[in-house]
Amino acid sequence: MSIIEAKSVKKSRKFSELEFFDNNSEQYFLLPFKFHRLNTNKEVLVNEVGDLLVLPTGTVSRIVNRQISKSLDFELYGDLLANFFIAETQIPPLIDVLATRYRTKKSFLDRFTALHIFVVSLRCEHTCHYCQVSRVTQDKGKFDMSWEHIDKGINLMMQSPNEYITMEFQGGEALLAFESIVYAVTKVKNLAPKFNKKMNYVICTNLAVMTKEILDFCKIHNILISSSLDGPDYVHNQNRHRPEKNSYELTIQGIELTREILGRDRVSALMTTTNLSLEHPIEIVEEYYRQGFRSIFLRPISPYGFAVRNERKNKYETEKFLNFYKTALNHIIQYNLNGEYFSEDYATIILRKILTPFPVGYVDLNSPTGSITNVIVFNYDGAIYASDESRMLAEMKDYTFKLGHLNTHTYQEIFYGEQAQKIVECGINESLPGCADCAFQTYCGADPIHNHATQGDMFGYRPTSTFCQKNMEIIRYLIELMDSDKRIAKIFESWVKPRH
Amino acid sequence: MILRVKGKAHNVETFVVGKVTRDYNRLDSDTFFIAENLTPEFAFDSACGILTNLDYHNLNSSLPAVFSVSSFDHLNEGDIVSVNSLGNIRTLYRVNSYHNIIFATERCNSNCLMCSQPPKDKNDIPELYKINQKLISLIPKDCFELCITGGEPTLMGDLFFQLLEQLKEELPNTEIHLLTNGRSFAWPQIAERLAQIDYKRLMLGVPVYADYYQVHDYIVQAKDAFFQTISGLHNLASYSQRIEIRVVLHKQSIPRLTRLAKYIYKNLPFAEHVTFMGLEFIGYTPHNIEKLWVDPVEYMEELEEAVEFLSGQGIRVSIYNTQLCLLPQNLWQYARKSISDWKNSYLPECSSCSKLNACGGLFTWNLDKHSNYIKAFAEEISIV
Amino acid sequence: MIHINQIKDGEILVFANTVLFSKDAIFKCLYWYGDKFHTNVSFADSETYCLSLKPLSNASIKQDEINLYLQKLERDLIDFQLRDTIVRETHNVRDLLVAKAFSNGEFDEDPIGLISDPVGFVPL
Repeated sequence: MSIIEAKSVKKSRKFSELEFFDNNSEQYFLLPFKFHRLNTNKEVLVNEVGDLLVLPTGTVSRIVNRQISKSLDFELYGDLLANFFIAETQIPPLIDVLATRYRTKKSFLDRFTALHIFVVSLRCEHTCHYCQVSRVTQDKGKFDMSWEHIDKGINLMMQSPNEYITMEFQGGEALLAFESIVYAVTKVKNLAPKFNKKMNYVICTNLAVMTKEILDFCKIHNILISSSLDGPDYVHNQNRHRPEKNSYELTIQGIELTREILGRDRVSALMTTTNLSLEHPIEIVEEYYRQGFRSIFLRPISPYGFAVRNERKNKYETEKFLNFYKTALNHIIQYNLNGEYFSEDYATIILRKILTPFPVGYVDLNSPTGSITNVIVFNYDGAIYASDESRMLAEMKDYTFKLGHLNTHTYQEIFYGEQAQKIVECGINESLPGCADCAFQTYCGADPIHNHATQGDMFGYRPTSTFCQKNMEIIRYLIELMDSDKRIAKIFESWVKPRH
Repeated sequence: MILRVKGKAHNVETFVVGKVTRDYNRLDSDTFFIAENLTPEFAFDSACGILTNLDYHNLNSSLPAVFSVSSFDHLNEGDIVSVNSLGNIRTLYRVNSYHNIIFATERCNSNCLMCSQPPKDKNDIPELYKINQKLISLIPKDCFELCITGGEPTLMGDLFFQLLEQLKEELPNTEIHLLTNGRSFAWPQIAERLAQIDYKRLMLGVPVYADYYQVHDYIVQAKDAFFQTISGLHNLASYSQRIEIRVVLHKQSIPRLTRLAKYIYKNLPFAEHVTFMGLEFIGYTPHNIEKLWVDPVEYMEELEEAVEFLSGQGIRVSIYNTQLCLLPQNLWQYARKSISDWKNSYLPECSSCSKLNACGGLFTWNLDKHSNYIKAFAEEISIV
Repeated sequence: MIHINQIKDGEILVFANTVLFSKDAIFKCLYWYGDKFHTNVSFADSETYCLSLKPLSNASIKQDEINLYLQKLERDLIDFQLRDTIVRETHNVRDLLVAKAFSNGEFDEDPIGLISDPVGFVPL
C-alpha cells in the first residue's frame, strides 16, 4: 500500500467539487404530500408513505410556490429531496423504492383476517352498568355457543389466507364456558398443522372465576389471558358491578395467580373508559404501574358512547376523553423521563406508523378498515359479524353489519360477498370526504361501523365524527410533543422498537 | 508487518501460487520450499518452487525459484504466496490471521475522496482471477472468514460470479464479506444472478454516505452513484441477500449523519448491520485532507445520536477505527477491534492505558494523523 | 366591483377570485364548516365566488367568535388551494406510485446513469 502523492493523481481521476454533482435542474417538481397546521408556529408535512417533517408555518406555501432555493436552503432542500417531498425530475429516480415502501405499509392486507373472535357464552356473573350482555343465567343451551357452531367457525378460520391466526374467546364471561374452550383449542391444535397455521390463543376474562385448573390448561396450550382492569378499586368496582362488590379484588387476585402459573408477560389488562374513568387519569395510570404492568391501552372507546346519535353529546364526551388522554399520557411520559419504561398502546400504534416503515395492522385504525380484513366475530348463536362493535349493534337490534350465519354462509360469501365489499368500500380513508386530503391519513383509518352507529351513514361526516375528532387531536398532539422535546421523541422511539 | 519481499526470479513464467513450508515432509506440488541458509535436497519435482536467501549458484534445479531474498521471517508454515516473474513474493494468505482478503481488482467505477485503495485504470482482472482461483483451492477449509475487496469486485463481470461459486464450493464453512459499492446491482439481472448462487454465508458491505444524493455522489466522486447504490440495495434485498451498510466519518458525511441513520432505517431496514468507521489516513485521504479531516471528538454528539437511534430500533451497529478514549462511555459497547493485525498500531501514550486490550487502536498510518485528544485511561481502582 | 370579506347580520361573507381559487378547493374547504354553519357558494360576479356562512341555530357561536371564523376561513381557503395545487401537480406520479406498489415488477424503472470505469464495463 503506498500513499499516492498529489501530483500523481491522474487527469481522468481529478476530483470534482460538490457543485459538479448537482443535477442542475432549473426547478424542482412536487411529489404527493399533505400538510396540516400543527399549532400557530409550525406545520407538519406528510408524504405518501407517512414520513413527516415539522417546519415553520408558511413553508408549504414556499415549497409550492417554488421559493425553496437549493443553495440558500441547502439543508431543507436536502431534507425535502431525501424524504420524497420534492424531486428534481418529473418521476423521481428512486420511485421504485418509494413504491416498495408504500407496498410494505399496506402489506398487512396480504395476510388478511388474523383475529377470529368466538363468543363462547353470553352468560356473565357481573352486572356492569354499561354492558349490553345478558346477566347470569342457567340456560346454557340458549346462551352458549354450540359445538357444531364452534366446528363451523373453526372451519372458516382455517380458510383465512393468513399463516398467523389468533383465536380469541370472548363473552359474557368466556370462562363460564370453559369446556367449550377446551374443546375448541384441542380441535384446532390438531387441525392447524394440516392447514399450515401458526396459532395464538387468547381468552378474555374478568378473572372472577379463574382457577388453577384452568390456568394449567392455558399453560399447556400457551394461551394468553386478556383481563380487564379499569383502574384503582373505587373506579373498577363502580364500573363493574358484582353483588359482593369485589370485582377489583378478584381481578388482582386473578392477575397474580395467572402470572404465577403462566408467567408475567402472558396476562394483559384492558381498561374500559367510562365517565368515572375520565375523572381519574393519573390514578388509573398509577394503578397499572403498581400492578406491574409496563404498558396501558387508553382506548378511545367508551362502551355506550359510540351508540349514541347525539352529535353534541358525542363531541362533548370526546373533548373530555381527550383531556383525560393527554393527562394520562403526560403522566406516563413522566415515568419514562425518570428512567422507567412504561408505554401507552394507542399512541404506540400511531407512533409505529409515523416512525417506522413497517405495516401496522391495528383493527380500529386501518385503511382499509380492519373489519373483516383483519377481524371477524362468530357470535354465540352462530351469527357472523364484521367486528366486535357490529355485534353490539346487533344486541340493539341493528343488524347492518351481520354478514351471515355459520349454518348458511360460505367463506366466499362472508369475506368477499356484497355486504363485505360495501362495508370495506366505506372504510378506505384515501377516498373518504375530509380524509382524502388529511395530513394524518396514513396514521389514521376508517370505521364504517362507528360512522353508521353515530351518524347513520357508513361513509361518515367528518366535521361531526368523533372518530375524526379524537384521532386528529391525538395524532396532532403526539407530533407536537415529539417536536417540542427531543427527550420525548426518544421515549416514543423506544416504544416502537420491534420486539421479536 | 511485511507482506511482500523481493528477490531474483528464475524460471517463473507469469506467476506461481503456492503454500510455503520449511519442512521436507510437507512438500507437494502446490508448495514452495523455503530454503534458509541451506541447499535443498529433495526430489525437485515434488514442490512447486523454491524460495531462498541464497544465491542462484548454490542450486541445481529447473523449478521456479526466487533467490537472494532478504528474509522469510514474516512467513509461517502454511501461508500462501504468489511469486511473479519479477521476483516479487506477495503473501496472499496468512494462516495465523483472521484478516485474510481476496483481492479482486484495482479497477473501480467510483473515486472516493477518502479511498484507501486508489483505483488503477488497467485491466488486471484476468490475471488476478487466475491467481485467486489457485489461491482459493489452497486456503485451509477451516478458514473462518474471508474478505473480497478491491477496487470494485463486480467489475469482474461473469468472473465475479464464478469466483463466488468457487468459494461456495471449496470453502463452504467460510464467512465471506464482500466489499462493493453496490452500484452494479441497480441492474436487476446482476442481483438475480447473485441470488442464483444462493450463498448464505455471503454478506455484502456497501457504503452509503448521505441521505442526499448530491453529498453522497460528491464523496464517491461519481454521478448517479447514490441512486444506483440505493436501487442496487433494494434489488439485493428483494432476493434476500445479506447486507451491511458502511459509513466513513469525516467532514463531508458528519453534517447529515443522523438524517442518514434515519434514512437507512426507513429505506434500508433490511440491513443486517451498520458500521460507522473512523477515517484512514492513506490512499487519497492525505491529498484531500482539508475536505475530510475533523477531530473525532468534535463529532461524538452526532455519532451518538445516529448510533443510538439505529440500535434503539434493533439494528446491529458497530463503530470501527475509533479509540475508546474518544468515545462517550455509552458508545463503548459498539466499538470493535476492527483494524487488521498487519496495519494495527498504538501510540506511545497508549502503553500506559488500562483499556489497551479492549481498544482497537489506530491504523499504522494514522500515527501521523489522529485526534489531539487521545489519552490513556488511568488504572481502574476497584472499590472494596 | 370590489368585494370585501365581511360579516353582515351575523353572516360571514368571503369572496374568492375564480382565477386564484379552484372550485374543488372551495368546496373542500367549506366541507369542514358544515357542522356549525349553513354554507353556500354563489357567483358575486363573473370572476368572483361568494362564500356565505350562516351559523346554525344549535351551533351557539358567540358574537366575538364570528370574526375568528372569518379569519380562519380566509386562512383555510389558502391552505386548500395549496392542497389543490399539490394534487393537480402530483396526481399522475401518485397513480404511477400506487400502480408500481401493487405490480409485480412490470413497471420497474430502468437503472439510471453510467456504471463503467475508464477501462470499460457493461452489466450484461
